[in-house]
Amino acid sequence: MEQFVIHKIVSFPPVVIAGVPVDLSITNSVATMIFAAAVISVFFLLTSAGKVVPGRWQAFGEILYDLIDKGMTGPMIGDRGRPFLPYIFALFSIIAVMNIWGIVPGQFTVTSQLAVTISLAVVTFALVIIIGFLRNGLGFFKLFVPSGVHWVMLLLVVPIEVISFCVRPVTLSMRLFGNMIGGHVVLYMFGSFIVALATFALTQGGLAYLGFVGSALSLGMVIALSALELIVAFLQAFVFAALACTYLSDVVNLDHGH
Amino acid sequence: MADAANAAAAADQATSGLPQFDLGQWPGEMVWMVFIFAIVVLLFTRVFVPKVGGTIAAREDKIAGDIGEARRLRDEAETQSRAAAEELAQARARAQKLAADAKAAASAEASARQAEEDARLAQMLSEAESRIAAARAEAMNAVGGIAADAAAAIVQRLTGEAAGAAEVERALAGLA
Repeated sequence: MEQFVIHKIVSFPPVVIAGVPVDLSITNSVATMIFAAAVISVFFLLTSAGKVVPGRWQAFGEILYDLIDKGMTGPMIGDRGRPFLPYIFALFSIIAVMNIWGIVPGQFTVTSQLAVTISLAVVTFALVIIIGFLRNGLGFFKLFVPSGVHWVMLLLVVPIEVISFCVRPVTLSMRLFGNMIGGHVVLYMFGSFIVALATFALTQGGLAYLGFVGSALSLGMVIALSALELIVAFLQAFVFAALACTYLSDVVNLDHGH
Repeated sequence: MADAANAAAAADQATSGLPQFDLGQWPGEMVWMVFIFAIVVLLFTRVFVPKVGGTIAAREDKIAGDIGEARRLRDEAETQSRAAAEELAQARARAQKLAADAKAAASAEASARQAEEDARLAQMLSEAESRIAAARAEAMNAVGGIAADAAAAIVQRLTGEAAGAAEVERALAGLA
């Protein structure tokens, strides 16, 4: 599992924030985060040229914009979703870039770090709660009380609703983390089969030459799984952003449709 | 030395499960992730979304404006062509009326002139007729004289003596 190990690139002395020692050294993980943010910034700075007839890259940027605007915030949150478009777009972009960059062999996958996915999930969860209270005041708690349910049932339903709300950051972070680490572990396994079986065949000779067949099959699997991982990388970014939209929609549209 | 420590830590992690669950790394990673994500969100809020969204909105406005302008121009052209057609119809009606008037005037003049001519001819005819009648009457009178002369000459040749004018006159009156 050496691919998930964090090592320092530039060391800083740890600082203590609220009694917790925080090591702000630039690690391979942090460097990849910065790289992802830089890729996104450069891409949008170069592609938002604002031409009426867009070039290829500008059209790509606008397709992404429409994907978020007309595919997520619009239909999922409605007219009130416009203000959240930048947040959802940023969330989708940073996760997608970090996921996809992780597929490049030898590169660090930031989203396979549970600390990272938890950070993004908690920030999103906190935003949902803050928006919920800002928009609805104490009416925010109506979220846990479905209308038209008998009070006896409420005794059962409300705790379920509260629990399902509170586990959201957990499921949100575990889903992304699990998908990323799972894919990379499987890729690592087949990758090590390639080397192990080929080495076995070379050192033993004779019947062991069949190991080359297994080695070739493993190579095929690695190639196929890399393609699958590319889809997963995009899809998980989309899912994370879409769920963030759903959670925001819950609190933004609390006064109607519930 | 730091490398050595890292390597030791890595070896330690490699033996004790996933490195992701090494809680010592969490605070730094979380702070960095939240910080970088905050910057990205800020960039999207302030720069990228307004820019790209503005471009898309501007394009939609431009397309809508262009279509509106084209529709306006088409309507204008249609109005103009209708006006032109109407003008043409009016001009044609005017021309037809003018032609009809001219024809009527011409035919009226022609018939007037013909009537005048007819009257003139009729007058000339009647004048000629009266002249002929006068000439005939004169000729008839002359015939009387010639007959008397001829009768006197015939009588002289037959009888050898001249007949008196009064006798010839009488004889002629008796013939008539």
